[in-house]
Amino acid sequence: MSVTTEQSASFGGVQARAETAMNAPRIAIRNLDFFYGSNRALKSINLDFPDRQVTGMIGPSGCGKSTLLRVLNRMYDLYPGQRATGEVMMDGVNLIDAGIDLNSLRARIGMVFQKPTPFPMTIYENIAFGVKLHERLSRSAMDERIEWSLTRAALWGEVKDRLHSSAMGLSGGQQQRLCIARTIAVRPEVILFDEPTSALDPISTLKIEELIDELKHDFTIAIVTHNMQQAARCADQVAFFYLGEMVEVAPAAQIFTAPREKRTQEYVTGRFG
Amino acid sequence: MPHLGDAVFAGAARFAGVFVLLLLGAIIVVLAIGGLQAFRAFGPAFLISTDWDPVQMVFGAAVPVFGTLATSVLALIMAVPLSFGIAVYLTELAPAWVRRPVGTAIELLAAIPSIIYGMWGFFVIVPIMAQWIQPHVIDTFDGIPVLEDLFAGPPFGTGLFTAALILAIMIVPFIAATMRDVFETVPAVYKESAYGVGCTMWEVMRSIVIPYTRTSVVGGIMLGLGRALGETMAVTFVIGNTNRIATSLFGPGNTIASIVALEFPESQAGSLKLSALLALGFILFVISFIVLAISRLLLRPRLKG
Amino acid sequence: MSATTAAPALPGSIPGPAKDARVARQLSGRRQRTNRIVKVLCIAATVIGLAFLASILATLLWRGLGGLSLTVFTTSTLPPGSQGGLLNAIIGSLIQTALGAAIGTPIGLLVGTYLAEYSRGSALGNAVRFVSDVLLSAPSILIGLFVYQLLVAPFGGFSGIAGCIALAVIVIPIVVRTTEDMLRLIPVSLREAAVALGTPQWKVIVMICYRAAKDGIVTGILLAVARVAGETAPLLFTSLGNLNWSLSLTKPMASLPVTIYQYAGSAFEDWVQLAWVGALLITAGVLAINIIARVALRGGK
Repeated sequence: MSVTTEQSASFGGVQARAETAMNAPRIAIRNLDFFYGSNRALKSINLDFPDRQVTGMIGPSGCGKSTLLRVLNRMYDLYPGQRATGEVMMDGVNLIDAGIDLNSLRARIGMVFQKPTPFPMTIYENIAFGVKLHERLSRSAMDERIEWSLTRAALWGEVKDRLHSSAMGLSGGQQQRLCIARTIAVRPEVILFDEPTSALDPISTLKIEELIDELKHDFTIAIVTHNMQQAARCADQVAFFYLGEMVEVAPAAQIFTAPREKRTQEYVTGRFG
Repeated sequence: MPHLGDAVFAGAARFAGVFVLLLLGAIIVVLAIGGLQAFRAFGPAFLISTDWDPVQMVFGAAVPVFGTLATSVLALIMAVPLSFGIAVYLTELAPAWVRRPVGTAIELLAAIPSIIYGMWGFFVIVPIMAQWIQPHVIDTFDGIPVLEDLFAGPPFGTGLFTAALILAIMIVPFIAATMRDVFETVPAVYKESAYGVGCTMWEVMRSIVIPYTRTSVVGGIMLGLGRALGETMAVTFVIGNTNRIATSLFGPGNTIASIVALEFPESQAGSLKLSALLALGFILFVISFIVLAISRLLLRPRLKG
Repeated sequence: MSATTAAPALPGSIPGPAKDARVARQLSGRRQRTNRIVKVLCIAATVIGLAFLASILATLLWRGLGGLSLTVFTTSTLPPGSQGGLLNAIIGSLIQTALGAAIGTPIGLLVGTYLAEYSRGSALGNAVRFVSDVLLSAPSILIGLFVYQLLVAPFGGFSGIAGCIALAVIVIPIVVRTTEDMLRLIPVSLREAAVALGTPQWKVIVMICYRAAKDGIVTGILLAVARVAGETAPLLFTSLGNLNWSLSLTKPMASLPVTIYQYAGSAFEDWVQLAWVGALLITAGVLAINIIARVALRGGK
């Protein structure tokens, strides 16, 4: 197709990160199927999430990328009629087994949502809430943990003087960073980001992206995004989903410049989606 | 997998739900058992007997049942047009800044305790009725068949009509608020397309809004009826409390609620009279339950999405 | 939709006679007239409704303010002609309303929680919702009769606690309705965010959802308090009323509405006067709570 070169040229603004070697998988998905009732929304997915690296997931709306994210922390358990089959292995345990303790699983795999979701309480309480669920800390240890998580979320400087005022008073970008701080305060091993910047302005978006880059030193990260530039900027490897299938996974640099699959190429060059 | 806290809390919530079911069941059963003695003593005739004689120990439900239905239906006849007018005003006519205060004021009518309506009715409406309205109406209709009988009798001010009027005022806020809420559920595009072909406000109401909301409007009216049926204190003050089926709207009468409220203090525990009052309560419960159930079934789909 | 297919109809040749401007004007005039009449009637209906409210409030102020004095609040009910007050009735009403709300609120809260969080369209959930809605509008006098049969007749006497329980039965469905409605307004995202931290469901409900729905739930409780504070009929059969000073929950207990009822129908002028004072007090209280509740809900949104 002759147009392809032109379109990929117009996509040239994207600076995919340099080729990086993939670490050992932290989570390994094998033959995962997911059903909304009788509708098969994920079809035989195989995907590794490398340890302390960022896996970006892209694809048109309804392709199953958010669904996959919600399998990892078993969010689908909230809704009757939704079920998963296959293997989601982490430390030798299949996360979708019925016997798993969901609350401790979710403490190990945190999630940040599309829209900021501050709880109706103070900034301090927002973060302490999650910590108290899983740990018993002294007052000073709690203070320390809160300062640490807010610092890691690049929010400490902005809120340290008003920790005890309502979190609802923060701006959208600040609320989202608060949610990130709340998530990391629980000290998870994996963090799932579900389109974390789609409700934010460009400057807040940039801050969150920098934050993700910084957090991957300590956490394994999975991020779903509609924004291909964002995937290119943040992710070490990128998986492309289409109609419930994972079409292709490759290092970020490769998927945007030399995808193996035609569907991937058409999507990343803006032909559809 | 289920945590103890989750199990306990979910169990408590579910138990509370079941408790509400049991509560309603218990009310029905307790009233039925209480009325059993009277139902046994008088049989089905209890429902059609107009007697209420504590000395002879003969009781019948016909008069209060008639009074309850008559005042409630009469109240609806007065309240529905009034409520409709208010709802149309609040949704279509009132300027934006007026809607909230006027809407709240109408809703506050529903907050005023029943006994206040009773006192107000007794001390304000009854004298007005006795001095101005009733003599005038009686004179006007004098000599006209049917109407002459319907509006006959000495102008005491109390009676079925006055009770119905007070009831009407009491249920207007319920009906008006429901109508307003359901009118507001009509999608704007429907109304706009009707206005677009040159309909007037009234034509839009009549041919778009009312057909679209008909079921819910009837549900709101039934809700008002349900409220009127069991209203006690306000009616007790103004209905005249006579156990006779009045042929005139200005004649005195009673309702189930008013006779229970008035006769209860003079009933011995375990007496046939008390049982007869409980039996009346049971009948009232059955009537109210049917009306309220219909109201719910009609309203639920529209207001609950 | 091609224009070239043989369509003889030219613009302007609509079948039928040409539009008659005179007829159109006539029709339009009639339609506008009807519309104006309806508008006037609607405004009249609203004015009538407001006039009733104004008349009730004016009557209460006119008849009640004259008798308002400190004695009303410092003296209990006394025989006619001896300068009695309403102290025992006011205290009795406060006790019964507060206890009724205290008993009914937690149950209503749990039922509302069950309906919003656990029932998920189950048959039991639908039945509970339906029954609760019926109870919401059920005649309060029947609840009085019910509690009489259950708690007064078997235990041989009217009691304050029976009054409290009758009021609690009235409180429950009001709290259920607002609690369920308010919990349903909470966005799914907030729940999911809490669940994603590993929060057990009951903590999500108690610590996040209740908190987020607080304004609405409090409004519901306030409205329930306002409703039962003015209830008369159920108390006639339960706490009965008491013209003497008594704080015992196991004895008959005075209340403002029942005292008003007894006094308003009496032949003594000072008692009737006190009834108006009581009516003014209770209406002022009930309307104040209503307005506070509405403002609180609006402020929270």
